[in-house]
Amino acid sequence: MSNKPILQLLIYGAVCLALLLIPAFVDDAFLLNKFARYLIFGMLAVALSLSWGYAGILNLGQATTFGLGSYCMAMALKLKTVPIHTGAEGLPDFMVWNNVTELPWLWWPFQSLPFAVAAGILVPAAFAALLGWFMFGGRVAGVYSAIITLAAMVVVNLIIVDQQSYTGGFNGITDLARFEVLGISFDAYARSTYLLVAACLTVALFAALAVTRSKTGLILQAIRDQEERVRFFGYDVARYKTFVFAASAAIAGLAGMLYTIVMEFASPTFLGVPLSLSIVIWVAVGGRQSLLGAMLGALLVTGVQGSLSESETFLSTWTLVMGGLFVLIVLFMPRGLAGIVSGLRRRGTARKAAAQQSGSVGATGAPAGRTA
Amino acid sequence: MTGMAQAQLALRDVTVSFGGFVAVDRLDLAVNRGELRCLIGPNGAGKTTTLDLICGRARISSGAIVFDGTEIHQLSEFEIARTGIGRKFQVPSVFRELSVRDNLEIGSSRQHGVLHNLGRFGGAADRERLERLAELVGLSDDLGKQAAQLSHGQTQWLEIALILAQDPPLILMDEPTAGMTAHETGKTAELFNTLRGKHTLIVVEHDMGFVRDIAETISVMHQGRLLAQGTADEVSDDPQVREAYLGSGGIGHA
Repeated sequence: MSNKPILQLLIYGAVCLALLLIPAFVDDAFLLNKFARYLIFGMLAVALSLSWGYAGILNLGQATTFGLGSYCMAMALKLKTVPIHTGAEGLPDFMVWNNVTELPWLWWPFQSLPFAVAAGILVPAAFAALLGWFMFGGRVAGVYSAIITLAAMVVVNLIIVDQQSYTGGFNGITDLARFEVLGISFDAYARSTYLLVAACLTVALFAALAVTRSKTGLILQAIRDQEERVRFFGYDVARYKTFVFAASAAIAGLAGMLYTIVMEFASPTFLGVPLSLSIVIWVAVGGRQSLLGAMLGALLVTGVQGSLSESETFLSTWTLVMGGLFVLIVLFMPRGLAGIVSGLRRRGTARKAAAQQSGSVGATGAPAGRTA
Repeated sequence: MTGMAQAQLALRDVTVSFGGFVAVDRLDLAVNRGELRCLIGPNGAGKTTTLDLICGRARISSGAIVFDGTEIHQLSEFEIARTGIGRKFQVPSVFRELSVRDNLEIGSSRQHGVLHNLGRFGGAADRERLERLAELVGLSDDLGKQAAQLSHGQTQWLEIALILAQDPPLILMDEPTAGMTAHETGKTAELFNTLRGKHTLIVVEHDMGFVRDIAETISVMHQGRLLAQGTADEVSDDPQVREAYLGSGGIGHA
């Protein structure tokens, strides 16, 4: 953790500004779409860093809340499609194929886009709050809570696949209308969509930063360090963990909504084990105790992954290369890439402190008997 | 005899057994407001368990624990802490990955709410008080240091400072001088004498020199029971106490 809040704010701001300026230099629609996807993955990494890095809650099912957000957006956009894509009486096409005759009550409120956007954040947060309340209230921690998050994801995924007539089942929800707000149409390949994603990432990153720098963030780190000790100061540990778990889910939900806009569909694969484990890898590579590190980790890994899988040399071996890199980083850099930076900085300040101390020997008023 | 009626903390007929082993056996203990009470006894007497029961780390099997007129033995740990009870652990337990300043900030826990603390940055309101506390325990120069880098004695003091930041009416101290040098122990005794009257203290301690320096009343436990209670001289002259400590070299070397 940085002890210089101003410097930290400047660095975070500079990175976000750079991301927002990318469209000024990149004109390729395909590239912008790809970068937007990477930024969404960056948001997911921020979300996991908040719960895993700061509160010690390893969420192996982060994709659950991502998927819930994605479906909220997809439902709203599906209902906005032109009649030619929908069945009779404004029903989504897949419902017609499944002999559904009227719009299910669950879908009704999604005719309002503002409702859908709110739901895309609040539904994942409420889901996480409920799950967290049971887990943390029951003092399930460590590897057991990780397994529960994984199991919960599998359950939600199965329900979505199973309820085909309401969710589109295995095919997901496709053929969506464009997301339109205030007269701006967000085409998946347009500059506006990239900017929307980058702006949301900036907001999410700074909101998460505010949480970690508040006293609540400090208490969360104390919980990560020694959960039991925190209770004896009068803090309700379960409530703190539930809060951060839900906040992380809200960010993931927002990312999910954006993903639907960028990909132009929602699919049960969004709530999958592969994505969830990928998020863990990004965050581990970037450094889980740094929000910015985790985010850059996601951009780096997905970027490298993208170019490796597209290059002919690594066409068949890129997963192996990625796996090898991950193992190396976990073995030799437990705090990820951000750990190297803060390690260098700490060494720098230690050297400065040592220089100061040697200049003032004998003037220490510290208690005697110190055996540092 | 201390009157049970005005006691700030009262353990009434408290028993706890862990899988058949009775660690505390029908214990009655009353501590008055502002008192500094030492709890001593041979190893396995149930001293630490008694503190665990008061702060909710362990649950009583029968009996009652009353603090300021309310029964607290059914409350959860954080609720007990909020009634005004702080605990220092035998193995110093601070937040090792955080700085000394951040540790103190967490100790200062008058506001417990998630949302309330979400709006607090930098701890400006508390800064002066926390810096005074750091000075009191000789950690002024180490505020920016990671707690993991402190010496053992400093870690003990940091945890004591955390409890003082919490500022509870009742403080439970489990072997606060363990691992301290003679000089550090002397400073700790001084500190405890300044706390007397402002806080109620229950101190579990093995170092009899330290106990003699600070205690008014000593309670001696043996095999989960209260064996004797009185001044240092009264207790060490008690034949039952002598017998309990037999073989361990006498009370002074317990």
